Amino acid sequence: MATETKKDTRTAQQAPTVTLTIDGQEVTVPKGTTVLEAALGMGIHVPTFCWHPKLKSVGACRMCYVEIEKMPKLAVSCATEAMDGMVVHTDSDLVKRGRKAVIEFILANHPLDCPTCDKGGECDLQDLTFKHGFDDSRYDFLKMRFTEGAVHTTFDDVRIGPEIILNRNRCILCYKCVRANKEAFGEYDLGAFERGNITEINAAPGREVSNPFSGNLVEICPVGALTNTDWRYKIRVWLTKQARSICPFTSSGTNTLLWKEDHQQKIFRCTSRRNDDIDDGWIADVTRYGWSYVMAEDRLQTPLVKKEGKQVPVSWEEAIDLVARRLTEIDDTKGNVCIGGLINPQLDNESLHAFNKFMRVTIGANNVDHRLDYPMLPAQGDTAYSILSSQPFSIADIDTSDVIVSFGSDMLKEHPNEYLRMRKAYMFRQAKVFTINPYAVKNADIASVDVVYAPGTDEIVVNAICLAAIEEKLVDAGRAAGLKDKIVPNSAAEAAETAGVELDDIKIIARSLADGKQVTFLVGELVARCAEREPIAAAIANLNRLFGLTDKGQVARLARYANSKGAEKLGLTPFPAPEVKAKLERIFGGWPENEALTTDKMLVQMNKEAINAGLVVGANPLLLYPDREFARECLERLDFLVVCDSFETETTAIADVVLPLASWAEYAGDYVNLEGRTQHAEAAIKPRFHSRPALEIIEQLARAMDKPLFESADERRREVAEVLAAQAVLPWPNDYFEVSFDNAAADSEYTIPVFVGDDPHHAGHLTEKSPSLSNFVSEAYVEMSIELAAKLDVKAGDSVRVESEAGKVIVPVKVSDYLDTDAVFLPRNFSSAQVNSLLMRKKRVNRVKITRVAD
Amino acid sequence: MILTEESVKAIKEKVKLYPQRKSAILPALTIAYRQVGHLSDEIYQEISRATRIPYVEIAEAATFYTMFPKAPRGKYLIQVCHNISCALLGADSLIGYLEEKLGIKKGETTPDNLFTLISVECLGSCATAPMMQINNDFYENLTRAKVDEILEELKAKA
Repeated sequence: MATETKKDTRTAQQAPTVTLTIDGQEVTVPKGTTVLEAALGMGIHVPTFCWHPKLKSVGACRMCYVEIEKMPKLAVSCATEAMDGMVVHTDSDLVKRGRKAVIEFILANHPLDCPTCDKGGECDLQDLTFKHGFDDSRYDFLKMRFTEGAVHTTFDDVRIGPEIILNRNRCILCYKCVRANKEAFGEYDLGAFERGNITEINAAPGREVSNPFSGNLVEICPVGALTNTDWRYKIRVWLTKQARSICPFTSSGTNTLLWKEDHQQKIFRCTSRRNDDIDDGWIADVTRYGWSYVMAEDRLQTPLVKKEGKQVPVSWEEAIDLVARRLTEIDDTKGNVCIGGLINPQLDNESLHAFNKFMRVTIGANNVDHRLDYPMLPAQGDTAYSILSSQPFSIADIDTSDVIVSFGSDMLKEHPNEYLRMRKAYMFRQAKVFTINPYAVKNADIASVDVVYAPGTDEIVVNAICLAAIEEKLVDAGRAAGLKDKIVPNSAAEAAETAGVELDDIKIIARSLADGKQVTFLVGELVARCAEREPIAAAIANLNRLFGLTDKGQVARLARYANSKGAEKLGLTPFPAPEVKAKLERIFGGWPENEALTTDKMLVQMNKEAINAGLVVGANPLLLYPDREFARECLERLDFLVVCDSFETETTAIADVVLPLASWAEYAGDYVNLEGRTQHAEAAIKPRFHSRPALEIIEQLARAMDKPLFESADERRREVAEVLAAQAVLPWPNDYFEVSFDNAAADSEYTIPVFVGDDPHHAGHLTEKSPSLSNFVSEAYVEMSIELAAKLDVKAGDSVRVESEAGKVIVPVKVSDYLDTDAVFLPRNFSSAQVNSLLMRKKRVNRVKITRVAD
Repeated sequence: MILTEESVKAIKEKVKLYPQRKSAILPALTIAYRQVGHLSDEIYQEISRATRIPYVEIAEAATFYTMFPKAPRGKYLIQVCHNISCALLGADSLIGYLEEKLGIKKGETTPDNLFTLISVECLGSCATAPMMQINNDFYENLTRAKVDEILEELKAKA
């Protein structure tokens, strides 16, 4: 709290300031600062319930009373702006009396059930009552008690969401939860109803609180009114310790605390650890509840080896020996290019680097990739897409941008943290937000213009913006010279028509990009996962050059996984950036000679039996690779497949050796977030069962092959630090790219464009093993607009057959009001549905037909 | 749909009157109440769709205002004042008499959907206590005989 308004000398010089006296100390703060923030900034304790550093002040609880000289009454410091010459007392007798009275008022209808309340020990009301309240009560009449709708226990609890329990009797009506839900998350499933004595916080009538940020509501509750089911009544807070961790599911690296108990070696919950540069103290539910997969009982317990067609448990020694022997054999008989390696970019830096060294030195093959779920990756390193992907990005810069564009990105699902930042810029600084996507996304409600273009016309939309700028003379003619000849079509009007968007919308965006003082242009997974991403990236590079966006802001493709940026910077791709490659070459003492292979190329080579052994660490390509049939066929052709994972998956099922992998919470490691910031995650518990961290497995394997990777841990760390220090940002070219376009006609039979990605409550293949997240969503669905549902004559919950050229799945329908075109969305996170079997890796836009399954 | 096309149109017109959408919540609720006679979750949803104001904000406002009924009411809403002047002059026994006469408890509606009985705070007619308001009309200086007469008259009209 106290760090929030620490005086920033830089801004203090620019912005007007005021000087006031608090408890005898003079302090100068920027104009507009509240008295409360000024006091907290000086390290003075002012008690609060309803104030939150990231929300607007409402002055609901009155707990922050201070005495200001010349004011007739006590002032609510969170809603009083600091003024020049104010003399403030935060600890006078009058203030103390005021606080006592407020506590007495708040306790009037509070049940005082602390011994049975799960919040006990970390409750603001409990703490502040001890510190500022009376030790006796003047109230001797019956307290108001809510029982309606409650489970009739002593506790009068109501379940209002998959993970949230509400107790209205304990609620002190600070409205923090309702405000955070609306102001910070833009969600409207929780409200304050009725009035006076019977005012209650509750879910919107007939709905439940299940938004992707709902866990934060519990965390900010100052009393025991909101508690979450994964933590309550399992342990008392004072019996736990905390490990400082990092979110392993999103690329922001939001800071977290894992609450654990050492004797039982158990994790109990995950909460935020506010870091204003990254997360503002809000964490997505996938971060908050995802940890519980670590404690799942169906985790892989021992290594498994396939013997006579059946996987049987073996000791680590036997498994490692077997893998080392077989890899050496294949290496010797068929040459080193015959082994391919895929690694999950959710693993820590040292594991990634060890894997890289293992593949490129011990095995001596250039077959390394961390991009398992991207089809048709470019077969060279210097593409527009590589340049775009390598660009620097800062989360905090979203806050100060006046124009924010999210292109080809379902932000809520892919980048929940940046989604909140965007909302914040809109809510608190009136930033202009534009969303440009092939299907309508959830953040469209804050968008000045929400463009939904025809799937497969991504680059045409970007070109339309460029053309509009040239036609309207919004950019310098010299800068624009040469662009028009290189792109199609000839006019903005024609481009807008091809993409099926309004020309006026395009013009508004072009004008904002030209006028914006600080522009953030974000590119998401809908571009990254597109089979033809190169022309789109080229068009974006052109746009950047035309508007000079990098000079006045940032243009970046957001990395998707917890350590994707780290994997990129550590060179876990076939084509590392030149400086990274130079560093690695020196460390490795050479570079493998074979043609570098991307994930796709490796799979193709497996199919041709030119790669005979595969090493998959922590990943599940069969579930996530966007062409299930192809991936299955290729992996099954391998002579020898080793898969390390924490659970039995469809990929481990076809492996010859399965090694149990420890989760991120079971070892310490460093992770690089999408900004390139390296952060450390502490171990919370020891590896469960007989699982081991990836680093340990890879090092043991190298030792068993008589080629140890590192002389010491120090050497390993030094190497990682050295590679990370290399410049991985590729420069933009000095000219415009050519962007051509081939408008592929839709198949006759399959007409509905399908998009596959992560559910907002899931990420990758591990979260479905988390019981808490499964309470939100536990099976795949097909999400469609109200109009499409009407057209297909189906309603929410109906089972439908979704069928493409490649395959079919049967899933229930989910109808969403924010979708407004015919495109449908399916989550890929569920093993039971095999959604990726609908996709074909070479198809730019996959299309399906949907029919109702007869009851 | 519960709301008529006419109501939806009127609600949409109201939205245009204010710089902030949310300001249209009360006028919209009033329009819905006048048409239907009460409010409900479905009505909030229909208003939400027509105004693009989040559903929960409409529900919040509607529940805050106690004068919007949330369940169907009888044709005649009998509101008996129970504040000090009326109470001193026998409002309590009057309410008891009405309950007995109508065969319902306070807050309930007669099975023929004709009368709903509630008691309310001061209606500003202390000089003529005890009094009650039925729909938009005041009935003052009440006695049991007068109540009988009024109820007969209303029943005859209905």
